[in-house]
Amino acid sequence: MGNLYHNKTAQWVAYAAFFAALAAIPLNIDDDFLLNQLATYGVYGMLALSISLCWGFGGILNLGQGIAFGLGAYGMAMTMQMQTQTESNPIPPFMLNNSLDYLPLLWQPFQSTMLGLILAVAVPTLFCAIFGGIMFRARVSGPFFAIMTLAMLSAFYTIILDRQPYTGGVNGITPPSPFQFAGIEVDPYSPLAYWCVFFALLIAAVLAKLITQSWFGLVTQAIRDDAERVRFLGYSVAGYETMIYTVAGLIASVAGCLWVMLVQYVSPAQLDVGFSLSMVIWAAIGGRLSLIGSIVGAFVIQGAQSYLGDTFLSTWLLILGAFFIVIVRFLPNGLSSLLEAALGLLSTRKNGASPEQSNGTKPVPAE
Amino acid sequence: MPGLLEIHNLSKSFDTIKVIDDFSLEVVEGTLCCLVGPNGAGKTTTMDLITGRIKPTAGRVVFAGQDITGLDEHVIARAGIGRKFQVPAVLRDLTVRQNLTVAYSRQTNPFWNLFRFRAPGLDQKLDEIATLAGLTDRLNERAGILSHGETQWLEIGMVLMQEPRLMLMDEPIAGMTESEIEKTARIFRALRQTTTLIVVEHDMGFVREIADVVTVMHMGSLLARGSIQEIEANPRVRDVYLGEQEAA
Repeated sequence: MGNLYHNKTAQWVAYAAFFAALAAIPLNIDDDFLLNQLATYGVYGMLALSISLCWGFGGILNLGQGIAFGLGAYGMAMTMQMQTQTESNPIPPFMLNNSLDYLPLLWQPFQSTMLGLILAVAVPTLFCAIFGGIMFRARVSGPFFAIMTLAMLSAFYTIILDRQPYTGGVNGITPPSPFQFAGIEVDPYSPLAYWCVFFALLIAAVLAKLITQSWFGLVTQAIRDDAERVRFLGYSVAGYETMIYTVAGLIASVAGCLWVMLVQYVSPAQLDVGFSLSMVIWAAIGGRLSLIGSIVGAFVIQGAQSYLGDTFLSTWLLILGAFFIVIVRFLPNGLSSLLEAALGLLSTRKNGASPEQSNGTKPVPAE
Repeated sequence: MPGLLEIHNLSKSFDTIKVIDDFSLEVVEGTLCCLVGPNGAGKTTTMDLITGRIKPTAGRVVFAGQDITGLDEHVIARAGIGRKFQVPAVLRDLTVRQNLTVAYSRQTNPFWNLFRFRAPGLDQKLDEIATLAGLTDRLNERAGILSHGETQWLEIGMVLMQEPRLMLMDEPIAGMTESEIEKTARIFRALRQTTTLIVVEHDMGFVREIADVVTVMHMGSLLARGSIQEIEANPRVRDVYLGEQEAA
């Protein structure tokens, strides 16, 4: 037997156990505030998952995942804002404060909740498909692509900040009441909100896992290894890179919608460079090569930030930075590689004398 | 019979230096053509031009009646041209099995491949190629730990998994032992029954064993072309290439 860590059945069992544990949380917690906070960690988990898919499996370092997250969040905030506007009072208050006396064309589709939700996810996804398509077709890759995403993120940040009458500027948008869907009000502090995030995270994780196990996933990993070689096998590298980048963007945009549902608030801070970088840090610390590892990374870092951050105040950033350096130096594949190594040790000990193992350690002839 | 691959008056310049100068070649289906020549003759550049890695300055490449000049690498690969690189290029972080599997590229569309978890005929083909390449008990190893000879074999296996109509093999026996070279020659001769090959090689002994036709390149253009006996008897070839080899 090989390493249990690489056993597909064992991986699915780990997924089942992980999500069963998450499902048990609302049944055992009465604190509404804590439940809401845990739900936002679930959103961060989705973001880390999307980074793991794009960076860990696809080899595309994306420092601008805040674009998809932020656009999704703005779409959701606009939808929720318009839910509170009435026929007689169709214009959001912040627009009136900016002396805008009509509802801009940009906002009109968001009068319909359904259309608003579709746009909140479709616009960022489409953006990723187009931007990624242009970049990858031109064979922009590695650090150059990372810099392009960073530049794009800053551009969106500036536009949103600057167009105050349409976006609320630095104040953002604060929808006054919770999200309503099909006559149901999703109170952010209710178990219902938690379950929404739970199922979104579950679906995203299972789909991402299936993608990595599909033929597409194999080609993506091959591209991460040597993109040049894969072209000569007949695969369009740009097509694969665009696809994985877009799927990651789709997950992040859904996360953006859920985040606004939980906090009833969005501002340019969601497109801040620092926030997009922390998504990469979550995945790096948890282990970008492991989808669940990345999710756990987000939980651990954000959880620690919430509790230790209050204690240590600004020292917290130093602690986080030091932790990050230690991980990158000693565990380049993150905390999940610790588990991999531990299970690997276990399997070698169990089958120390099996022929398969001795084969693996057969000395390699010199070149 | 028309040539499966026809190269017409191909030229490639980098700045002012002509690397390939008005080079023409026709490869008949079902033959094994060896491309030889001194270092810098433009053999690998010709491979790059055929497979789309670089675009020609002038001239045309026609494969199976289709003009493939200047197309993208993956389009040319899909048309049925497989390539083994001079410096063996395998996917070092993936296992030997994954390397062979990903090379079995019948379906290349990224969207459809999201929903594909296996391929018809893969297991049988993989068994067959792994046996041929002598990698059956290395399938679950990372390709990065293979020896140089094994890496060469893995890449040849990957080309075979692609089931191409034309195989380009750039120095396939470099770094192989005598017995490995013999085995390679045997397999190339067998491949000739079903497919077409262009082999770039320096080892004239190996060329003698496998070649139907030998093409000699010198300074980016055609120096001579013919059977191995004709080539070895050609005084110009002896001058610029073989003489140099004997001296070495």
